[in-house]
Amino acid sequence: MREFLIGKLNADALPHEWFTIAGSVGFTLMLLFAVGLITYKKRWKWLWNEWFTSVDPKKIGIMYFIAGGFMLVRGGLDAIMLWLQQSLSSGSSHGYLSADHFQQIFTAHGNIMVFFVAMALIFGLINYIVPLQIGARDLASPFMNTLGFWLYVAGVIMVNMFFFLGNEYGAAGWLAVAPLSGKEFSPGVGMDYWIWSLQISGIGTTLAAINFIMTMLKMRAKGMTLFKMPLFTWGSLCSMAMAVTVFPLLTMTIFLMFFDRYFGTHFFTTTGGGNAMMYTNLIWMWGHPEVYILMLPSLGVFSEVVSTFSRKPIAFYKSNVFGMIGISTLALMVWLHHFFTMGAGADVNSAFGVATMIIAIPTTVLVFSWIVTMYKGKIRLTVPMLWFLGFIAVFALGGISGVLLAIPPVDFQLHNSLFLVAHFHSTVVGGVLFGIFAGLAYWFPKIAGFRLNERIGRYAVWSWIIGFFVAFIPLYVLGLMGATRRLDHYDASTGWQPFFIMSLIGGIIIAIGAALQIVQIIASFIQKRRLADTTGDPWDGRTLEWSVASPAPAYNFAVIPEVSSRDAYFEMKKLGISKPTYKDIHMPKNTASGIYISIFAFLVGFGFVWEIVWLVVVSILGIIICLIAKTFNEDSEYTIPAEVVEKMEEHQADKVRAFHKDDDEVDMGLLEFIKIALSWAWRLVRGKR
Amino acid sequence: MSTESHVTKSNTKSEHGTTGSYVIGFILSLVFTIIPYYLVVNKVIAGNALLAVILSIAILQMAIQLLFFLHLGRGPKPLYNVVFFFATAGVIVLTISASLFIMSHLYQNMSPEEITTRLAQKEGISQLGGEKTGACKELGDNHIITIKDGQVSPIHLEASLCDTLTFINEDNKKRVMKFGSHTAQVSYGGEYEVVLDDGRPETITLNQSGDFAFHDDQDINTDGHFSVAP
Amino acid sequence: MTHAETSEEMSHEEAANDRVMFGFWVYLMTDLLMFSVLFAVYAVLHGNSLGGPTGRDLFSPPLALTETLILLTSSFTCGLGMIAARKGIKKQTLFWFGITFLLGLAFLSIELYEFVEFIHEGHTMRSNAFMSSFFLLVGTHGVHITSALIWAAITLFFVAKRGLTKSMVRKLSMLSLFWHFLDIVWIFIFTVVYLMAFV
Repeated sequence: MREFLIGKLNADALPHEWFTIAGSVGFTLMLLFAVGLITYKKRWKWLWNEWFTSVDPKKIGIMYFIAGGFMLVRGGLDAIMLWLQQSLSSGSSHGYLSADHFQQIFTAHGNIMVFFVAMALIFGLINYIVPLQIGARDLASPFMNTLGFWLYVAGVIMVNMFFFLGNEYGAAGWLAVAPLSGKEFSPGVGMDYWIWSLQISGIGTTLAAINFIMTMLKMRAKGMTLFKMPLFTWGSLCSMAMAVTVFPLLTMTIFLMFFDRYFGTHFFTTTGGGNAMMYTNLIWMWGHPEVYILMLPSLGVFSEVVSTFSRKPIAFYKSNVFGMIGISTLALMVWLHHFFTMGAGADVNSAFGVATMIIAIPTTVLVFSWIVTMYKGKIRLTVPMLWFLGFIAVFALGGISGVLLAIPPVDFQLHNSLFLVAHFHSTVVGGVLFGIFAGLAYWFPKIAGFRLNERIGRYAVWSWIIGFFVAFIPLYVLGLMGATRRLDHYDASTGWQPFFIMSLIGGIIIAIGAALQIVQIIASFIQKRRLADTTGDPWDGRTLEWSVASPAPAYNFAVIPEVSSRDAYFEMKKLGISKPTYKDIHMPKNTASGIYISIFAFLVGFGFVWEIVWLVVVSILGIIICLIAKTFNEDSEYTIPAEVVEKMEEHQADKVRAFHKDDDEVDMGLLEFIKIALSWAWRLVRGKR
Repeated sequence: MSTESHVTKSNTKSEHGTTGSYVIGFILSLVFTIIPYYLVVNKVIAGNALLAVILSIAILQMAIQLLFFLHLGRGPKPLYNVVFFFATAGVIVLTISASLFIMSHLYQNMSPEEITTRLAQKEGISQLGGEKTGACKELGDNHIITIKDGQVSPIHLEASLCDTLTFINEDNKKRVMKFGSHTAQVSYGGEYEVVLDDGRPETITLNQSGDFAFHDDQDINTDGHFSVAP
Repeated sequence: MTHAETSEEMSHEEAANDRVMFGFWVYLMTDLLMFSVLFAVYAVLHGNSLGGPTGRDLFSPPLALTETLILLTSSFTCGLGMIAARKGIKKQTLFWFGITFLLGLAFLSIELYEFVEFIHEGHTMRSNAFMSSFFLLVGTHGVHITSALIWAAITLFFVAKRGLTKSMVRKLSMLSLFWHFLDIVWIFIFTVVYLMAFV
C-alpha cells in the first residue's frame, strides 16, 4: 500500500548530504522571501493576472530572462565550485568535494548552462524582439508560447528537485553517456531527474520553436519579404528551424533511454544486443546542432548591433543570410567529430572531419560582413559594441582551436582533454553568452523603458573578457600538457596546480563581471528617470522595433507598418510618418492552461522518478483534459477599441515631442553606486531601530 | 445564423482533393502495396535487387499519398510546408543512412567479437563459445615465400588449411606486405599486413581458405598469390 | 458592423487558419523525425536477436498486409469525410469519419493481437535488442493511432453537438492530416519491418 501511494520515496530521500541541505535551505529561504514579499505587497493577483497567465510574448520574454538569469547564477556557482576543487585537489590534498559529488557538479553545470540558461535567454530575446522586428502584434499561437515557457519552468524545478528529494544529481556527464547512464551503473534517481527535466523542457522547446517558425514565416508585416527581414530574425529563424529538426531526435533518444532504465529494453545496454555507441551517435545528432541553435540568434544580434552602431546598413546582407543558412545546414552533418576516437575508422572520420572544417567558411563570411560594415562607419563604442569586440577575440580563439580539433589525428591527441573544454567554452561563452549580453544591453531600453548604465556596463564587459582569457588560456595549456577533463584530483608531480589556480583567478574575475552586471542593472533602476528612453529610439535604430514606444505597448503596433526596404524604420524616419487611422485591435486573452498542463507534466515526471504509478496516470489524464478544454474553447480573444489605441499613441507622441536631447553623461559610476547603496543600507538599519 | 451557412465557399477544389483524386490515390496505393507483398512472398526476385525495389515502391507510395491524400504543394504560396517536408526528408535520410554508415564501420573496426576471435587465433584457440575461431589445432606443412630484388618466388603457392607460411625478405630494405591486390586491400584471417624488417622472416598460420593475393604497396612489381585448400 | 469590417474579419480568421495548418504541418515533421530515430535504431539493431527468433520467424505477412489494407482504406474514407466536411454536410461527415474510426480500431486490435501473441510466446521487449526496437517502433505508431482515435472521438462528439463550424472543419482537417501521416509512416513500417524481414 505504501509502495502504491508513494513509490520509492522514503526518509532516505530527504536531504542529508551537506550540499543538498545547503541547497534546499537556500532555495526554501529564497522562496519564503519571495512569497513573503508578494503577500506583504498584496501582489498575488497582479502576478497571476498580469504575468503568470499572460500570453504576451513580451512578458513571457521577460519571465524567460528572469528564470534564465537565475539559473545562470546557479550554473555559475557550480563552475566556481569545480574551479575551486581543481585548484585545491593536488597531491596529498583531495580538495573539499568527493569524487562522486564532483561528477554530479560538472554534470549539472553543463546541463543547466545549455538547457536552462542559454536556451532560456535566447528564447527571451526572440520572444520580445522578433514580433517587434517583423511587425507582428503577437505570436502565431500565444497559447503554445505560454505552454512552452511553463514547461521550461517545470524542467527548471525538476532539475533542482534533487536538493529536496533524492540527494543526488546525475553523474554521467551532461549528455549522460550510455551505458554509464543505464540502470546497471547509475541506479539512483539522479539520472531519472536528468531524463525528465530534459524531456519536459525539451518538449517545451519544440513547441516554442514551432510557434516561432509559424510567426516568422506567416506573420510578417506587409511588404517584408524574406530578404527584407532583419538579421536577428533571420538568425532566429535558422535557429528555430534547426530546433524543430533536432529536438525530436533528442526527445526520442532520451525516450529510448527511459525505456532502457524503466522497462529493461536493450537499446543502449551492454547486454542483450544493445549498442551503447548508438546512444552516442544519436545524442550528438542533437548535441552538435544544439550549439548552433544557441549561436545563430547571437550572430543575428551582432549583425544588428554592428549595423546600428556603425550607422551603416549591414554589408553583404544576402551573403550574411546565406552564411547563416549554410551554418545551419552544415551543422546537421558534423556530429561525428564529437566521437572521432570511438573507432569508426578512417573513412568515416575523414568524411566528418572535412564537413566540420567547411563550417568555418560560412562563419567567416559573417565575420567579413561585420568587418566591412564597420569599415568607414561612424562607430560608437557602446556596451553592445564592446561585447561584439569581445566576441570577436574570444570566438576567434574558439574557432581556430575548433578547426584544429576537426582534424581527426589531432583530435586523437586532444580528445577528452582540457584543451577541448577550453575550446567549447571559447565558442559558447564568446558566441552565445556575449551575444545574449550584447542583445540585452542593446534592447534593454525597449524592454524596460530606460537604457542600462554604460559606465558600469563597460567595467562588466572588460571583467568578462579579461577573466575569460585568464581562466581559459591555462586550460588550453593544461590540455596540451595532457590534463584530461573532469579531473577531481591529480598528482602533484604533474605541475598543473599553478595553471588551475590561475584558471580559478580568471573564474573569479568573470564572477566579478557577472556581479557588476547585476550592479549595473540596479544602478540603472536607481537612475531610471534620467536614463529613460522617451522616444522609443535611443540608438538611432534601423529596424521596426525602434518605431514603437519603450516599453512596447501590449499591442506592439497601433497600425501594422508597411515595409518597403531592409532597414524599414530608418527609411520611415527619412520619409516621415503620416498620421495613421486607428482601428480596433484583437488580442488573445490570458490563459492559465499552460500552467496547469505544466504542473501535470511535472507530476508525470515526478511520478516516474519515484515510480508512483497512480500519479503518472492521473497526471496524464489531467494533461489530456486540459488540452481538450483549451482546444474546444472558442472564446479566446478580446478587443482593444480604436479610441484607446489612439489615446495611448497620442500620449507617446507627446512624450516624444517633449523630449530634448542632452549629451551629458549622466550614468553613475561604481563609487557613486556604492555610496548610494551604503546610505540606503544605513537608512534601513536606522529605520529598524 | 445556421452554423452550416458560412462554410459554403467550396471553391477549394484546387487546394483540397476531390472524390476523384482520392479514388485514384486509393487505387494506386493498393496497387503499390500488393506489388511488393507479391514480390516478397513469392520470392520473384531476391537479395539487394528486391530490397531496392520494395524500398523504392514504398517511397513512390509515399509520394502518391502526399499528392492525392495530403495535397502537398497545393496550398497558398509560398509553399513553406513543401520546403519543410523536403528538409525533413533529407534529415531523415541522413539520420538513418549515416547511422548505418557509422555503426557498420564501427562494427567492422571495433567489434568485440572480432577482436576476441583474432586474439583466439593468435593463441591457437580453435573454438570459442561453441563457434570455430579459425585457429588451427595442429599446424601442417611449412611453406616459404622468398622476396629477392623485388621478385617473389614462388609467385603462386598451393597450401592447405592450417599450414604455415613464412615470408623471407632478402632485400636490404623494410617491406610491408599487404594482402589483396594493389588496388583493393583485404584482410587475411583478420590481418591486413605482414611487416618484414631487415631480413627477419615472418611466419603466419593459414587459417582462412580460398585464393589470396599479396603485394608490397611501395613496390608495384612485388606481388604474388597463394591458395589455401580447405 | 460595416461591410468592410466584416471582410477584414474573414481574412483575419483565414490567416489564422493558414498559420495553424502550417504549424501543424511543422509538428508532423517533428513527429516524423522522432520516427526516424526509431527507424535508425531498428536498422542498426534488428540483427541482434542473440539466437532468439528473427523477424522471419515471428512475423506473419498476411497479417501485416491486412493491417496495411485496413489503414489504407481508412485513409481513403477519411478523405471522403473531409470532402463532406468542406461541403458542410454534417451527416456524411459523421458517417465517413465514423467508418474511419472503426477501421482504425480494427487496425489497432490486430496490432495489439500481434503484440499479445509475441509476449505470450515469451518474446517481450526485454528479450533482446531486436525485440526492443521492434516493439518501440511499432508500438509508438500504435500509440499515435490510439491518440488519433481519442482525438477523433472527441472531435466527432463536438461536431455532432456544435455542427460544422469553421473551427470544427479546421480541427477535422488537422485530424485527417494526422491520419494520412500515420498511414505514410505505416507504409514504411510495413516495408522496413515486415517485408524486409523476408528478403
